[in-house]
Amino acid sequence: MIIDARGSRRRMAFALLVVAVVVGAFAIRLVDLQIVQAAELTASAEQRRTIPVTTYGVRGSIVDSDGEVLADSVERFDITASPKNAKLDETWMTVDGERVKVPTAQAIQAIADLTGADPNELYRTLAENRDSDFAYLAKKVTLEVFTKVRDLGIPWVYSELHPARTYPSGAIAGNLVGFIGTDGPQAGIEIQQDECLAATNGKSTYESSADGVRLPGSTVVEQEAKDGGTIHLTIDADLQWYAQQVVAEYGTSLGADSGSAMIVEVATGRIMAAADWPSVDPNDVDGVGVGDLGARVFSTPFEPGSVIKVATFASLLDAGKISPRTELTVPGVYTEGLPEGSSIKDSWAHGDLRLTATGVLVNSSNIGTAMLSTRLGLEKRRAYLEAFGFNSDTAVDFYGESSGRVLPMNELDPLTGLTQQFGQGMSATSAQVAALYQTIGNGGVRMPLTLVDGCEWPDGTWTQRPSTEGIRVVSQAAADTTVQMMEVTAQEGFIKNMVAIPGYRVAVKTGTAEVAENGVYGSQRIVSVAGLVPAGDPQYAIVVTFVKPDTMRTSAAAAPAFAAIAKQVIKTFRITPQTKGAPSIPTTW
Amino acid sequence: MTTTRPPRRRSEGREPAQPAVVQAVQRLFAAETPEYFVLLGTTLFLVVFGLVMVLSSSSIEARAAGLDFWTQAARQGLYALVGIPVMLLAARAPAAFWRRWAGTAMAGALVLQLLVFLPGLGYERGQNRNWINLGSFTAQPSELIKLALVIWLAWVLSRKGEALYEWREVALPILPVTIIATGLVLVGNDLGTAVIIVAIVFGALFFAGVRLRMIGAIAGGFAVVALLFVQGSDSRSNRIQAWLDQCQDPALYSGDCWQTIHGWEALAHGGILGVGLGNSSGKWSWIPEAANDFIFAIIGEELGLMGALLVLVLFAVLAVCFVRIIRMNRDPFAKLAIASAMVWIIGQAFVNIAVVLGMLPVLGVPLPLVSAGGSALITTLAAIGIVLSFARKRPEVLTR
Repeated sequence: MIIDARGSRRRMAFALLVVAVVVGAFAIRLVDLQIVQAAELTASAEQRRTIPVTTYGVRGSIVDSDGEVLADSVERFDITASPKNAKLDETWMTVDGERVKVPTAQAIQAIADLTGADPNELYRTLAENRDSDFAYLAKKVTLEVFTKVRDLGIPWVYSELHPARTYPSGAIAGNLVGFIGTDGPQAGIEIQQDECLAATNGKSTYESSADGVRLPGSTVVEQEAKDGGTIHLTIDADLQWYAQQVVAEYGTSLGADSGSAMIVEVATGRIMAAADWPSVDPNDVDGVGVGDLGARVFSTPFEPGSVIKVATFASLLDAGKISPRTELTVPGVYTEGLPEGSSIKDSWAHGDLRLTATGVLVNSSNIGTAMLSTRLGLEKRRAYLEAFGFNSDTAVDFYGESSGRVLPMNELDPLTGLTQQFGQGMSATSAQVAALYQTIGNGGVRMPLTLVDGCEWPDGTWTQRPSTEGIRVVSQAAADTTVQMMEVTAQEGFIKNMVAIPGYRVAVKTGTAEVAENGVYGSQRIVSVAGLVPAGDPQYAIVVTFVKPDTMRTSAAAAPAFAAIAKQVIKTFRITPQTKGAPSIPTTW
Repeated sequence: MTTTRPPRRRSEGREPAQPAVVQAVQRLFAAETPEYFVLLGTTLFLVVFGLVMVLSSSSIEARAAGLDFWTQAARQGLYALVGIPVMLLAARAPAAFWRRWAGTAMAGALVLQLLVFLPGLGYERGQNRNWINLGSFTAQPSELIKLALVIWLAWVLSRKGEALYEWREVALPILPVTIIATGLVLVGNDLGTAVIIVAIVFGALFFAGVRLRMIGAIAGGFAVVALLFVQGSDSRSNRIQAWLDQCQDPALYSGDCWQTIHGWEALAHGGILGVGLGNSSGKWSWIPEAANDFIFAIIGEELGLMGALLVLVLFAVLAVCFVRIIRMNRDPFAKLAIASAMVWIIGQAFVNIAVVLGMLPVLGVPLPLVSAGGSALITTLAAIGIVLSFARKRPEVLTR
């Protein structure tokens, strides 16, 4: 060696000194990075790596009284992509179980084939957002499609859970259930009970790898997603279907513009069916016109006609002004107390008729009804109508419900003051008419009309239970007598052959309302039959209405549909036959 | 079984006869110096520690590349199973053996490095053409150059003796060989390995006692060449520029600073005690070469400041061992071989760590004994084997 041992030792010592200095410097730098700057560096790393995600709660379902599902949530998937990570020339993909490089166009075509998307559109999405980490390729695909897309193994394609709505019963109760549009609930129970049904979406974050993989164990839930509650409807889906079917069949053969049927349980006010025709299939909202998207039974008032006479007679009986046998001479035209030029006529021409009060109802004489009505003051008559629920929303409070109209006292002229007693010059919805018949059938106590039985929350608690508080409108005797008079109508009225159900007694009232168009009553009619089964102990109120039928413009048009529905109600609820005890009240004197 | 075969070696008398296998193993490890065991123990610990960290840091990237989680770690384990016997065998070799093969090894290593440019055999990984393909395995001949340099430099310099006062003697044949070796490596675009090779050469010259002003002069020459080399390539000068800027420029984030910034963030994430083995976020494709050049960042993240300091301490222990072994040897050849190995292993570890900490520009050298990489692990273990061979007996015992 050219340097002595001491020189060599010095160089060794220098080497160790260098090691010590370097290790010391490293230690200081490590402390700087891992302690001093740690918070700052970690924050900027988290900002880059932390990906926020929305977790979806499940929107509650809508079920009928038996739990049959009318509206339900299903899991759908949005197929998303990271355009930034997608090379436009070629990409990895799994073809027949092999990982191979394929032209990106082929991968796009594969996605398009599975999702039904337009491949050119997909290519544009990727090509035009080169800096973006996120873009939608397809929305709300089924699990099956999602699985196939995932199995393509394209590295820049991802997915998100996206709950969607499905209506397994299709058009059954579609008018009531409503539907969900892209911006949320649009109609029916879906929107009215949104507070119950809606899920609260949760928030969570996860840490992502540079190529977008979710790091295991890195998910932080900031807010739990909360599932929505289940809405229980009072309707019976099978009966609802039947009612819809009957209304559709007869409506079509009558050439009517629309039709409806309501079935209400008399003792409780629960709606067993509320059918509209035409109505929407919530799975295919675009399949019907805008006017058919809702529930006309609640939303569309019309001049109901003679079915309102039941309210008039019950009021007069309750006030003690008439009895079923009150004798009356009904002239061919009525002008008493009416302004010059005004008159009330019956639907058929006649001379003086000697009718009992029952006879007036059975023959549906407007003149007779007007004459009897004058026995009670206008203000009281109007108060009775309001007590029966006219001029106010039903307790259902359906989305877009109309309260119909009974003119206020100061606008009531003498003519309208009388015509509204037989359903002209006032308007009501089918639901309100059904509520009237429920009240009569229930011994004069009006129960709150109920469509929603309650909201059952995921934890098993119930809210939105309907009120069961009834309101007495007329006395038990007045109501029962009215039912008897209706039964006579079923026995002796001109539709008696159409509404007779062997083995059962029914009580009905018909209505043939003139439709005012531009303020003038023309030849168009709204025909209806309302009634109670069984007449001896009313359990169900049924109202069937057709708007503007072409082939037949009397209430006889609605009678067969009424009878069909009444028979179905008897079958569905297993009502026992009863033929004895039918009232016998003379209609003439 | 009662075969009472007489022991091959004369027993000490007080010990009962041992089975042959046990005796063989004892002989393999037979040594009288504590340095031998400290060096061996520290090395084995680093290798095992490295295997654990390679498993942790490579598993995700291996999976992302469509392989099994264990692929790279298992392969690294296999390399260790080759490298450790190589080390133990090297530890048994006499100094004469290294002297005899020094020149051949150097020549062979340079020839292998040339094969890198042979189409079909050599290939490029990343942008570095420094690999040859041997069927199912690949190798980096530049690692062999480092190993060959250790004995060749010791052999050349120890023979020159007093002649090292002269420029000519210092320069020949070391300078041309160094230039050829670094040149070949640089043509393959592997800046990091070139830096280490030059460092080994300077270390050998330094410890051989070459005058400091001669070393300084040569260093000045190399510095000029290095400067020109850096200026000659945009990617290299940008890397240096990014380092000088300490990655403050956001525009560099996705480019030259990506690896550095994510390395820092990984270390910061680790804090004092670390996030725990296997829990690194950085290894999820954020840090390129996580199992290799940036494995120190993963160590710092998963094991925290404590783990990172432990690694520093272990390399410091290695350095102290090397120096002590140098001191107890009298043979200049042995001293120089150990010193060269020290400069290589400790120097490369320091360069690697400095890069991760942002104290040097990104050079791309692995952490010796720890990082993934077969050629590097086996040659490093072989170099330590050479050092061990000089630590088995105290010089007083040497009969030579």
